[in-house]
Amino acid sequence: MNSKVDLSVIIIISETQKYDDIYSLHQIYKDSIDSAGMPYEMIYVTDGESANVLQDLLSLSKSEDNMKIVKLGKWFGFATALNAGFENANGKYILSLPSYQQINSIDIPNIINSLRTDVDMVIARRVRSLDTGINQFQTKIFHRMVKKLTGVEFNDLGCKVRAFKREVLETIYIYGDQFRFLPLLAQNHGFTVSEVIVTQLKSDSEKRVYSLGHYLQRFVDFISIFFLLRFTKKPLRFFGFPGLVLFISGALLGLYLIFERIALDVPLASRPILLASLFLIVFGVQLFAIGLVAEIIIFTHSKESKDYIIEKVINSKSEVDHQSIEID
Amino acid sequence: MNKEIDVSVVVPVYNEQDSVEPLYRAIVSAMNELDYNYEIVLVDDGSKDETFKRAEDLAKLDPRLVVVKLKKNYGQTTGLHAGFHTAKGRMIITMDGDLQNDPTDIGPMLEGIERGNDIVLGWRHDRKDFFISRKLPSKIANWIIRKLTGIPVKDNGCAIRAYRGEVVQKIPMYSEMHRLMPVITALSGAKFTQVKVKHHPRVFGHSKYGLSRIYKVIIDMFALKVTFAFFNMPLYGFGLFAAFFGLISLMLMMFGLVQYVLYPDLSLVTIMGAIMLFGSLSAFMAFLGVISELAYKTGSIKIEKLLKYKRFGK
Repeated sequence: MNSKVDLSVIIIISETQKYDDIYSLHQIYKDSIDSAGMPYEMIYVTDGESANVLQDLLSLSKSEDNMKIVKLGKWFGFATALNAGFENANGKYILSLPSYQQINSIDIPNIINSLRTDVDMVIARRVRSLDTGINQFQTKIFHRMVKKLTGVEFNDLGCKVRAFKREVLETIYIYGDQFRFLPLLAQNHGFTVSEVIVTQLKSDSEKRVYSLGHYLQRFVDFISIFFLLRFTKKPLRFFGFPGLVLFISGALLGLYLIFERIALDVPLASRPILLASLFLIVFGVQLFAIGLVAEIIIFTHSKESKDYIIEKVINSKSEVDHQSIEID
Repeated sequence: MNKEIDVSVVVPVYNEQDSVEPLYRAIVSAMNELDYNYEIVLVDDGSKDETFKRAEDLAKLDPRLVVVKLKKNYGQTTGLHAGFHTAKGRMIITMDGDLQNDPTDIGPMLEGIERGNDIVLGWRHDRKDFFISRKLPSKIANWIIRKLTGIPVKDNGCAIRAYRGEVVQKIPMYSEMHRLMPVITALSGAKFTQVKVKHHPRVFGHSKYGLSRIYKVIIDMFALKVTFAFFNMPLYGFGLFAAFFGLISLMLMMFGLVQYVLYPDLSLVTIMGAIMLFGSLSAFMAFLGVISELAYKTGSIKIEKLLKYKRFGK
């Protein structure tokens, strides 16, 4: 293992996704990373469904000495592939690059060098002037929604060119489609995230038409990220409110029906509205109970989560490195 | 540092630039009256004003002042948590950074710990806050908490408290747990006592909490109570609910049967629906019991870890 590596470049290529010719891609990336002047390694992550890619990578690796290949059995999404690549990374900085040219490679050294400052994570922001109108509109709507939901403003969460310090991925576990939202999660945890403006390539600006399923998936992402950011620590506050509202409205309705039965002598047995009242009560109890189970999970697992970052300690009496304290 | 530290005074501060220095002086003059080796741990919870700079300037002149700067504003619980991690004292005092607590109360509170208590809670018997917006909600919340948990804490919101060092390190701290710390520790068997403390009106800045706190505190407290109650028997706990709803379903079934025998002409649709609703709720509860059993089993926090406190001294 080369321990002098400062930067680990992770490139995820799967035949299930869009990708460029590997030889030329490798050459372009290599040339631009070289000019940043930082010792680096290249880690390619691919999967069992991409035989051609693997073959190309293997023949490429014969002439390269700072290159690793990680093959996953199956494609489990971008975040999983990234985590697998990260496990094999030695650098203190990580740079993730897409499998096709999303940005002009001359901007890459700039992104790498931004990490030498206090910034923990740098995300590339494409200036979308080459996109078609409809795509520009979609991008705008998406990021406006993110801002509404989370209060954090980012302008290009779709760009896969991102550089970050090791601690970011060591602290924040992502899975599924969450790589897109890593900047949000990182910022929420206390890392400093900044955007670097890059120029968009013509090849990246083709019109993108998405299926309905794609939008549905984005929507689900929104909900999960919203929950992750706001209520992971206190799930009963989330479930408890609708639960209580349903329960109380059901109970009030039930009381009124009983009042009608006793005082006004309206027979209950033939009234479906009684079922509605009972349904509200039952549904309310269920929501509340699920919130309780979630609380139990959070409480019993609470010491496993790392909660905060200490920036600086003055007059500390211990020699412990305070950079990222774990709550053990 | 070769002298062992007796007391750590942990104070989380957020945007309190005007309070930092008077606070520091008040603590120092109060602690100098007592015969303890102490440190002050000031946790700057990501303040946007000059709080950190002013604290840093003070710390340059006094090695007993430890300043911890957090990267962003995480909230009071996390601020305390970071402070506890840094604190070295065998006794820990926590207080607010807004000068509403009086450091001269520290002495009697430490005495309480020396007498063998694990926690000494401050009790603002004469609060200097607005009645409607602060005191009344807090009174209601405290009353509900007392009824809910059966633990006679008079003032859950009072920030000035004294803890035995090991007690503090065992408590899971997340979200707004610091409010519930007396209840958590009491639920897990710690000995506590309460001491009347002085309370000053706010001088600088403005208070940062609103009315929605009641809902949050009560919900959190309820969750905590259930979490503790079910610790050793989650299946049994949820099983009780399952049995309760199952019983309702069964009674409705009998009722339906009787009705069918006596008045065969009456519709049974509503009662059938009710039987099924409660029957499925009963099964749902039983299954939740299984899930929570999993949670307790896989979680790293076990009840015995919370319960066992090492004691020294008397």
